[in-house]
Amino acid sequence: MNVLYVLIPLALLLLAGAVWAFFWAVGSGQFDDLDTPAMRVIMDDDTKPPETKNE
Amino acid sequence: MTDSACFHCALPIDPRDNFQVEIDGELKPVCCPGCKAVAELIRDTGMASYYEQREAPQPGIGRPADDDAQWQVYDNDDMLAAFAEVRDGEAEATVYVGGMYCAACSWLIETSMARMPGVTNADINPVTHRLRVTWSTAKTGLGGILAALADLGYDPQPLAPESAARPELLEQRAALKRLLVASLGMMQVMMFAIGLYAGDFQGMEPSMQLFLRWVSFAVTTPVVFYAARPFFTSAWRGIVARSPGMDLPVSIAVGSAYAGSVWATLTEAEAVWYDSVVMFVFFLTLGRFLEMRARHRSIDRSVALSNVLPNTVTVVTDEQRKTIPSSQLRAGDVVLVKPGDSIPADGQLLEGKTSVDEALLTGEATPRPRGPGDSLVAGSINLDGVIHMRVETTGGDTTLGTISRLSERARYARPAYVQLADRIASYIVIAILVVAAVVGTYWAIAAPERAFVITLSVLVVTCPCALALATPAAFAAAGTRLAQLRLLVTDGNAIEILARARRILFDKTGTVTKGRPVIERVEILDESYDEPTCRSIAAALESVSTHPIARAFQAGGEGPDISDQRVDIGQGVSGSIDGKEWRIGKVEYVAAEAAPADTAASVYLGVDGQAVARFDIADELRERGAETIARLGELGLEAALISGDRERTVRDVAARLGIREVHADRTPEQKLDIIRSIQQSGESVVMVGDGINDAPVLAGADASIALAHGAELAQTNADIILVGESLQPVSTAIEISRGTLRVVHQNLTWAIVYNALALPLAAFGYVPPWAAAIGMSASSLIVVLNALRINRFGAS
Repeated sequence: MNVLYVLIPLALLLLAGAVWAFFWAVGSGQFDDLDTPAMRVIMDDDTKPPETKNE
Repeated sequence: MTDSACFHCALPIDPRDNFQVEIDGELKPVCCPGCKAVAELIRDTGMASYYEQREAPQPGIGRPADDDAQWQVYDNDDMLAAFAEVRDGEAEATVYVGGMYCAACSWLIETSMARMPGVTNADINPVTHRLRVTWSTAKTGLGGILAALADLGYDPQPLAPESAARPELLEQRAALKRLLVASLGMMQVMMFAIGLYAGDFQGMEPSMQLFLRWVSFAVTTPVVFYAARPFFTSAWRGIVARSPGMDLPVSIAVGSAYAGSVWATLTEAEAVWYDSVVMFVFFLTLGRFLEMRARHRSIDRSVALSNVLPNTVTVVTDEQRKTIPSSQLRAGDVVLVKPGDSIPADGQLLEGKTSVDEALLTGEATPRPRGPGDSLVAGSINLDGVIHMRVETTGGDTTLGTISRLSERARYARPAYVQLADRIASYIVIAILVVAAVVGTYWAIAAPERAFVITLSVLVVTCPCALALATPAAFAAAGTRLAQLRLLVTDGNAIEILARARRILFDKTGTVTKGRPVIERVEILDESYDEPTCRSIAAALESVSTHPIARAFQAGGEGPDISDQRVDIGQGVSGSIDGKEWRIGKVEYVAAEAAPADTAASVYLGVDGQAVARFDIADELRERGAETIARLGELGLEAALISGDRERTVRDVAARLGIREVHADRTPEQKLDIIRSIQQSGESVVMVGDGINDAPVLAGADASIALAHGAELAQTNADIILVGESLQPVSTAIEISRGTLRVVHQNLTWAIVYNALALPLAAFGYVPPWAAAIGMSASSLIVVLNALRINRFGAS
């Protein structure tokens, strides 16, 4: 069980890393809009422009 | 008649034109070169799937800006400084995109922005219609970006940075961070707590137990001091204001459980309650977050009114023209206003003759003629002439500014029942604290070693957590459900009022009617002409007029050849067909001796001074209006129609809808008086109106529903905004609100019953803190799940 003395602090370190990453993401505005991303997946943007441009 | 609606903008196509665009191998008709260009642009950039995904065509837009200079102004440094933040050659700006209708629009805008050289990032929020765009200043300019948006057929308006950095956004960011800290903290501490409880049953090395306690302490500390901080500050504010809120017992419970745990950890005492603390904080934070999200669905109004005014104006000085930002406009400046533009400030007309649409301020849709010397108000729209005006007042001092301040003030006045609820809440809180103190004192004498644990259990068990979640969870679910039905709730209080209301007032123009005139009846006055002939002559004559009533005369099929067509502003249109002079318009313009009209709006057609036909113009009713009124009646709501229009017209509309009570010919002040007198009799009033025209009236009602679309959305003050053409969601909103209130009552009953049962058990020492926390969480969960049932309400 002694391995817990190493593993738990390690887990806390990872936790701190995750919290830092999330704070950074929130600060850079990635979570400002919680509504659009849900709709965005259903829009496809892979329609190719026509091969030959007229005009 | 063939397919005569424009493929791009759905406006009717003039049969004399022949514009077509090829989409997916099919030729589609469009109404003008502008729409043709836009449709081709959309096709050539591979975005034709926009046409399949959009929910409704963009009505009436799709003309690229004819004047590129309008956008080039935004490329100079002054304008860049006013509208964008520049850092290291990268600029960021927020642009309000008018004319957005659906998710497909946001896709189109984002995709075309991403393909623009120099643009590094573009995000659009389809709810607030705000585009946040960053670009490299070396490669492109703000003007180029705005021109590109205008080319797509939208109406872009850059917003000044201070209005873009909204406080709600900062609040949401902070709340998200707190929620994350609380949830991660809870998961970790619960894991350690399971270890500790297992240790209690199976035995555990004391060093491991101590280690787990210290680890729990390390994780709980940020949860208490960071995630739970708003509870402590709000509890303190409550104490200072001498009205303790729900947050006070919460703070005492969290603070004392944490302090007791730390003490137990230091002294290696029997038990710690870190798990109870984090669970408690997490559930409370989640509840607050849900409530905040519901609150933020409101639309930012501070920027709303500036959207009505133009961003730039053309100032005329000594025969020189200069385009400047509207914010730099001063009293005394002479401004040139082109047809179709809005008047930027209050002032006096100097040169030119025009008519203005003051619907924004007066609700009166009929254009008013204006000549030199007449006064003009900011926010009204210059319809048909090029005019010069002298600015008298600008910004907040204008009529428009005053109106917006008034409706703002009306909005912030808190209804009495909310204050009552707050007072009751503070009594509950005081009662909880008294009970906890009595229980604590009793046990301190009877069994001092158990006093702390039992008092803590009492505080946690009686935590008004389910009580605090009961209402916001239900309201948040109701907000989401209503949004799915195209009803945007901007003020949660409205739901409660809607549920209780017994009186509902409808405005006429633009609310129960579409605000679009149609020909209701044609009366032939001269038997030598038949109805189709009259209609086609009228349509051909009116095709050159910009008057709103002209829209009733849809040009369809082959019209007669007209020469010398002339528009006489405020009178009508004339033209000659086969050498005879035809006129359409007011009775005295067409023929002096014709019988006077007996309906509100009649247009006469005449030839050589003789009246030939009379067209009675009526406003088309919205879909499912009568059905909605009938349903409201079944729900026990008395409907009334109030309008600024003439008695006869209003009664006519009311009869068609089945509304008995009619108030005609009322000014906005009189409408407000009607609402006040109903309120004084003790009843709540729901007002249904059309956005800004009725702003003060809507703000004066207990709850307001506004019908709005597109750019108007952001300008609306109402508690609930109805998007779409049908009136039917109004009755659905009432049903959902009643369902919501029912759920709130169930939740409150449950929370109170639970507390009433748990409190004596805890007070007699039968509930350990962890069980109290689990009981509290389970109770909260039941409340939330019950609230989620609202998502199925109103389905038919």
